[in-house]
This record gives sequence, C-alpha cells and structure tokens, in this order.
Amino acid sequence: MAISAERESGTVIAKADGRIDGSNASEFQADLQGVIEDSDKALILDFESVSYISSAGLRVLLLTAKTLEGNGAKLALCSLSEPIREVFRISGFDNIIPIHDSQAEATAAIGG
Amino acid sequence: MTYKILVVDDEPDLEPLVLQRMRRHIRRGRYEFVFAHNGIEALEQLEADPNIDMVVSDINMPRMDGLTLLEQIPNVSPDIRAIIVSAYGDMENIRTAMNRGAFDFVTKPVDFDDLQFTIDRTLEHIEQWREALSTRDKLVALQNELDVASKMQQSILPTSFPSSPSYKTYGTMHPAKDVGGDFFDIIRLENDRIGLAIADVSDKGVPAALFMMSSRTLLKGSAIGTTGGPGAVLTEVNNLLNEDDTTGMFVTMLYAVYDPATGVLTYASGGHDAPLVVHPDGTSELQDLTGGIALGVLGGFEYRHESIQLEPGDTVCLYTDGVTEATNQQGELMGIEGVQVLFGSAPPTSAEQAGVAIMERVLEFTGEAPQHDDITCLTLRRD
Repeated sequence: MAISAERESGTVIAKADGRIDGSNASEFQADLQGVIEDSDKALILDFESVSYISSAGLRVLLLTAKTLEGNGAKLALCSLSEPIREVFRISGFDNIIPIHDSQAEATAAIGG
Repeated sequence: MTYKILVVDDEPDLEPLVLQRMRRHIRRGRYEFVFAHNGIEALEQLEADPNIDMVVSDINMPRMDGLTLLEQIPNVSPDIRAIIVSAYGDMENIRTAMNRGAFDFVTKPVDFDDLQFTIDRTLEHIEQWREALSTRDKLVALQNELDVASKMQQSILPTSFPSSPSYKTYGTMHPAKDVGGDFFDIIRLENDRIGLAIADVSDKGVPAALFMMSSRTLLKGSAIGTTGGPGAVLTEVNNLLNEDDTTGMFVTMLYAVYDPATGVLTYASGGHDAPLVVHPDGTSELQDLTGGIALGVLGGFEYRHESIQLEPGDTVCLYTDGVTEATNQQGELMGIEGVQVLFGSAPPTSAEQAGVAIMERVLEFTGEAPQHDDITCLTLRRD
C-alpha cells in the first residue's frame, strides 16, 4: 500500500494501491492525514490500483470523511475495480461516500 | 541518562580514587557512584535504592564477601549486573564469581581505563536487556488483551439452537488466530418467531469486543422490544450506536426474523452480505441486498427489509466475509460461489449439516494459507 498525491486549487487527488487491510490500515490513515491540509476543499481518492479493502480500511475512510466534513470539505472516490465497488455496495458505504467512474468525473462533481 | 553504580570495597582509599579518576564522566552526568564497604551494606543500599543500575564489588571484605554478595543480589534486584574486582591471577575466585552470575571482572591493581570500558560494556548489556524485557512485556500485555477480547467474543455466542418440528437452526464460528470481530445470535421472539443475527465488527482487540458486546445487547433489546420489522430494529440499533461514537467503529449486521407459522423470512442488511437460500435439489439463490449501510456509520439512516418465502427443505445461510473472502494459497477468493458449488453437488440435509459443511469447505479451500478473519455462519432449515 502506498499513496501519492497532487493538489490543484484546493482539491487533493491521491492514489492508493495494493491491499488496504488490518495490517496497514493505521498507515493508510496516517498517509491520508498527511496529505490533507486544513484549507483543502476536497479529497479525491483514486482506487484504480487498490486490489482489496477490508472493513479496517473502510473505517479509515469513514474517519477521513468525518474529519473532512468537520473542515467543510468533501471526500470522493473514483476508478474502483468491480470487486472493490462490490465491497462499497454490500457495506452500504456508497451511501455516504460518492463514487465516480473516473478522476475527471469526480473533479467535475466536486467542482459543481 | 545517568547510570548509578554501586562500588563495594572495604578499602577506604578506593572511594576518593574512583571519584577522582571517573570525574569527567561524573561531571558529564554519565555515571553516578555510591559506595558500600561490605556485602551487607551493599544489599541494604540495593534494597533502599531501586535506581542502582550495576554493582562493582571487591571479593575479600568483612561481614559479607563479594562472592556471597553475588549470590544474594538476584534476591534483591534481579536485573542488576555485577562486575567483580579480584586479585590478579586469582582464577579460582574469578571462576566462582562468573559461575555466580558476575557479568565480567577486572583485576587489581585497578586499571581505570579498563574499569571504565568494562562498566560501559556492562551498561550496554543492561540497556539491551531492559529493552528486551519491555518488548516482552508489551507482547504479553497485547496477548492478554487479545485473550480477553477472545473470551468476550466466545462468551456472547449462543450455545443452544432453537428448533421445532418445522425448523432447525445452527450457528458456528471459527475464530481467526488474531481475534476478529464476528458474532451471531438467535433470539426467541413473541408468537414462536425467532430472530437471527450475524455481524462483523470492523476492528479487533478489546475496544472492538466492547463494541461487539454493546451491538449485541442493543440488538437483543431492540429485537424483543420492537413492534416493527427487522428494518426498524436496525434503524434503532444504528441510531443508538451513533449517539456518541467517535471511534469510527462500525458493525455490518444482517438481522432476519423467521415466522414458522408461514415460512416467511424477513431480513434487513446493515452493510452485510446477503442471505443465500439453498433448495433441496441443490440449486441456490443469493437474495437481494436491502441497501442498508453498516451500523454505526450514519445516524438517522432508515433501514429497509425484504421478505422471502421458505418452502419445506429450503435452507437459509447467513455468513460473514470470512466465508466469501476465504483465500487459498494461490491468493484466490472462494466467494459465495464456493458455497453454491458445494451445495450444488451435495444439498444440505439439516441446518447443522449445512453449517458444518460450509465451515469444512472454507477450511479445505484455505488449506495452509493464514486465516486473518473469523469464519462464521448461521443456518436455518425449514423441515
């Protein structure tokens, strides 16, 4: 699991990859906190290269969403593989975190 | 950090000599010396001052000699290391001292450079020893915590399974090596109906086990108290779990109510895998999800439920992701298809047989691959 991020006019786009599970969830959380700044308006997480996410990973996303919400900022996901999309569907997390097909779509949705 | 060194010698000239020769180290705060004149005094000081790190002792002294002192030190301060000072060439005493646990020795007349080198080497050893002890203590504490969590988890599982001439139930859990967060419950409701719950808490350890206990208690209370269906039960439990939660912990839960009078099963999913219904001919269908989110995530969420008709011989299987995400040594997931294939060739003959068969299938599939998640299933068969 690794994270790379770039920032454009208050929107951070971060790419995660590999497995996100109980063994590296706290690292994932620290990485996300590291890329977010108080002034950011949105965090878009590109999950194209994520192969697996466990409930421990979902919990990190939930905490991140709450942190961002506290700052008046938004969290969105994009480019999920079908099995990962299924995890969000079954867990119902697609109810609280917007999921988009591509970075472009996510950026447009956040901007609008 | 300053190390406190107890020097034990009946020779009155040694004290000023040590203070003089080691003055630079004392000034820099690396060493602090305290003195005793025989073994008895040394033991008294060790007992009175837990901050002493090591002992440098002469052998021949009145009242209690250095070799006897070596024997006694572990009774007072088990983690203290001692250096013995002996006459040059006195191999017999040196041998005895080493056998009694001395860490090293220096010979008289004392070469202070050598003494300082030996002291440093001893202190370095003490540091490593302390670090090893603290690591071990942390591991023991962690293991204790996991044991507590595991006992809590086991203690809430039902040990008897309701049944009647028209249906049987069965539940089983295979715990992960490092405690997971699964549980299930079977609740007797009014009018002979029964509630079936299966759940998976998002975390591990004692906090997760406590969250599990409260989820289970809230569910039971709500299930027995409500006049609404499973959707209303999950809505209520979710609101209670969200009241003052800051941990981000959540639980996926499927709650179903079975009415033996009609064979109707009504279920609601809070972010949990859908029920699988297996027919007597081995065909099976994964039921629809009800669109609910995991409990503890979003207060105020309204959970929906769905109803399905079970015919005689139908078995409904509830399970956690320990089943669907069972991974073999090649890294492949078993998926619910693994269970469907199993029952396709050997349809369930009873609730218990179905539960046991799923468990065996999962363990066979994973083989030697490490099991990171609890494997849990709960079955009901309409007879």
